[in-house]
Amino acid sequence: MAKHLLSLLLIALWLAAALPLQAAGLDEKVIEHSFSNGLKLLMVERHSSPTVSAWIRFKVGSVDERSDERGIAHLLEHMLFKGTTTLGTRDYAAEKPLLEKIEATAQRLLAEQTKGAKADAAELKRLEQQLAELEKQAQQFVVKDEFFDLYARNGGSGYNAFTSKDGTTYLISLPANKLELWASIESDRMRNPVLREFYSERSVVMEERRRSYDAEPGAKLWETFVAAAYNAHPYGQPIIGWMPDIEHLSRTKAEGFLKRFYAPNNAIIAVVGDIDPTAVIALVGRYFGDLPPGTPVPEVAVQEERQRGERRVEVIGDAEPEVVIGFHKTALGAKDDELFDVLAAILGQGRTSRLYRSLVLEKQLATDVSVFDAPGSRYPNLFVLHATPRAPHTAAEVEQALLAELERLKTEPVTQRELQQILNKLEYEEARRMGTNGGLARNLTEYEAVAGSWRYLTSYRAKIEQVTPHDLQRVARAYFTRENRIVGTLVKNGNGRTAQ
Amino acid sequence: MRIWIAALCLTLCWLGTAAGAERANPRSMTFPPLQFSVPKAERIVLNNGTPVYLLQDRELPIVTIAALIRTGSVYDPAAKSGLAQLAGSLLRGGGTTPLQPRQLDEELEFMASSVESAFASDNGMVTMTSLTRNLPRTLTLFNDVLFRPRFDEQRFEIARRQALEAIRRQHDDPKEVGDRELTRALYAGHPLGQIPTAATLQAINRADLVTFHRRFVRPDNLILTVSGDFDRSQIIDQLNQTVGGVRASGPLSLPTIPAVPTNDKPAVLYAAKQINQSVIRLGHLGITKDDPDLYAVRVLDFILGGSFTSRLMMEIRTNRGLAYNVGSHFDVGRRFTGSFSAETETKAEATLKVIDLMTGIIKGIRTEPVSEQELELAKESIINSFLFGFTSPASTVLQQARLEFYGYQPDYLDRYRERIAAVSREDLLKAARKHLRPETFKLVVVGDAKSFDRPLSSIGTVQELALQ
Repeated sequence: MAKHLLSLLLIALWLAAALPLQAAGLDEKVIEHSFSNGLKLLMVERHSSPTVSAWIRFKVGSVDERSDERGIAHLLEHMLFKGTTTLGTRDYAAEKPLLEKIEATAQRLLAEQTKGAKADAAELKRLEQQLAELEKQAQQFVVKDEFFDLYARNGGSGYNAFTSKDGTTYLISLPANKLELWASIESDRMRNPVLREFYSERSVVMEERRRSYDAEPGAKLWETFVAAAYNAHPYGQPIIGWMPDIEHLSRTKAEGFLKRFYAPNNAIIAVVGDIDPTAVIALVGRYFGDLPPGTPVPEVAVQEERQRGERRVEVIGDAEPEVVIGFHKTALGAKDDELFDVLAAILGQGRTSRLYRSLVLEKQLATDVSVFDAPGSRYPNLFVLHATPRAPHTAAEVEQALLAELERLKTEPVTQRELQQILNKLEYEEARRMGTNGGLARNLTEYEAVAGSWRYLTSYRAKIEQVTPHDLQRVARAYFTRENRIVGTLVKNGNGRTAQ
Repeated sequence: MRIWIAALCLTLCWLGTAAGAERANPRSMTFPPLQFSVPKAERIVLNNGTPVYLLQDRELPIVTIAALIRTGSVYDPAAKSGLAQLAGSLLRGGGTTPLQPRQLDEELEFMASSVESAFASDNGMVTMTSLTRNLPRTLTLFNDVLFRPRFDEQRFEIARRQALEAIRRQHDDPKEVGDRELTRALYAGHPLGQIPTAATLQAINRADLVTFHRRFVRPDNLILTVSGDFDRSQIIDQLNQTVGGVRASGPLSLPTIPAVPTNDKPAVLYAAKQINQSVIRLGHLGITKDDPDLYAVRVLDFILGGSFTSRLMMEIRTNRGLAYNVGSHFDVGRRFTGSFSAETETKAEATLKVIDLMTGIIKGIRTEPVSEQELELAKESIINSFLFGFTSPASTVLQQARLEFYGYQPDYLDRYRERIAAVSREDLLKAARKHLRPETFKLVVVGDAKSFDRPLSSIGTVQELALQ
């Protein structure tokens, strides 16, 4: 759904950059419970306000799509706002046959469309009209966005969902006395979902794509850059799908994906706030406990082959230049992976970071520099540098300056003060992140899903304390090479075009 | 009966005896009562008269302090538009009398403390956060940023160049273009409608920043908020030794800003951009916080365009699949007249159709009372989610200080929910008729006119905006 799906996603991408936050005291505060159907529940009690945040993370994202399903994880996330056999409908028994007719018509239409130039124009038109007519008929049974209304009426705040490469998350905050409403709606969403209003929602997603990518040259550069980085691994495909992918998605495909993956053993719940954990275990057990377990999400078997030479992409757009440079690197939790977090902080965190100091303050080649890892973290990903050139300086000058700072990492050891500053920041972040229900729920579900345990957070600082300047130099030398590099530039169209 | 079932169920939960318990229907579910009253901060006054709102919360070893300053870009001279923005950024960015900018950056970042400053249109904020153990030193640096800024010449030049680069990029995002051009049209002839240009930024010099700072950043022109892990008497001493020890020089005199001129002439503004989706923005001037219809307008906002099941969202997104983002909003003015605006983005071929739908839906809410269900949903949502404004001590204390800062009634927050509850369908209709005036809309469309479903000129005389 999620009006703010992409902004959330972008925040996650751009801010989650370097340093996962760990937490002094988190070890004692998290209460874990596993249900017999494989559902995992994580809780933290905080009584500073009579509110509670509840996040459900499914360990399935766009990386788990087959090539003919690109975009389905995200579209399914939208569709799961449409209700169940009892919510969002006036009479499911009467609605169901119509929904089946709609899908049969849509399948015929898709088959005809797939013929491309050879398609029968009259038949296309007839099927389109028939689909529109049936969808209109089905409207009589729909109670629009009833989940939202139920949550809103009860004071729900921040009701949303987002899809990433690695997972799909449904989130809400409620007054603490309303948690049962959440359990009831969310368990029903898992048990009896009905993907009604599918084809109008597919149109909404197309508008989302136009808004967030087609009309935003910077975002267009980003998806082109990520696609160029992967030949085989599905991390290269955009979460929302390419437009022709979305055009060929159907309710049948969405239901297939749903049945394959949306099972309790693939889900992690975090409930944080003004709660009694014993009561929450009972509540979750009562509502979710009898959901049948499904097949675990299989690991993506494909591994990206080692890149053999620099890759360059450019996007021409109606916008001023941007530069993005990436290097293939390890997955989260793999040996040496935390070294990249340290490098990202040294290069890009704060006004004293090396890139800010060099490119923004001293040479003034750029107005803005950021360093983060993307596009996911469950599988080997990219170490990314992004910069906004300042005219009259060109993207090429900025690229050279960025690479020069990476070379420096290979030859000069980083200082103890730089390392200490990172540890100090981590200590502060550990404390700060304990201060919001939503932030904690996010971290617990995310790291439980991606790292295999939320305890990743609590062992993190100790790992960083072990990092030596020599380790950093070793990793910089091994990974920041020309042959392992992808460079993307945004180039202004028309007369403003600058030759790179 | 239902209440009894809920109570029973709660007991079962407590005992952890889940087996066999009933699942309740979310449509009819009832809940144990929840009383919420707004947490109260303590107001004290420093030796020099500066008010401070204090709210202790020892959950985390962190202290947050903010200064709310009566300043803003409304005070920018027209020829130096952008002055407040630069002054706000350089206050912290330009170092302090004792510390070069680089020294200040290094010291703050090494102890993981932050001090940041920014001036908006009708206020300025300087904030600091710090681990408790670094509070004394961070507070000293915060005080230096407020009252002893260096406005380092070199950092000033960097900030100006960054602002110039932002202007070069101001047409890159069509949504940003739409928002800016609507603001410019609504507030034409008023400082709120001034947008910095390369020329106005070039006209600003360091001395302007110094003068601007001297004029506005004074202990008698700001309110402090302090929240988090502090000891009451210790923090009062520390505040008196820093902010409380600064004397204002001479009497405070803030320039008078004229009221926003009435601006009821409709307009159709078009900015050409080669994109497959049009950005649509429309609106007119709105109300201030002192308007007696404030509460009716809040409820109206929810029903018309402020929620996921609002009328605009329901028709344009959910029913017709014509947009991802669609909504409307009364931006209630605090010191100056606010605005009403509606926004969406739709594929180029549907541009005029969607404009018609939007204006039709807005007109519709002026012709007939909303349904009882719409009214109840909106009121319950606003009332029941009210407590989310107070989930952290920093937001709670800031909400309270803002009442004094903007001159709200002291019981504004305490009585907010009962005043929302009192809004009737008739109040809403009256408010809609008075505060929505579709015949005066200024419409901004950013897009590719040759792909539109109808010419824009079918709505009115089109003024084309040059994006160069």
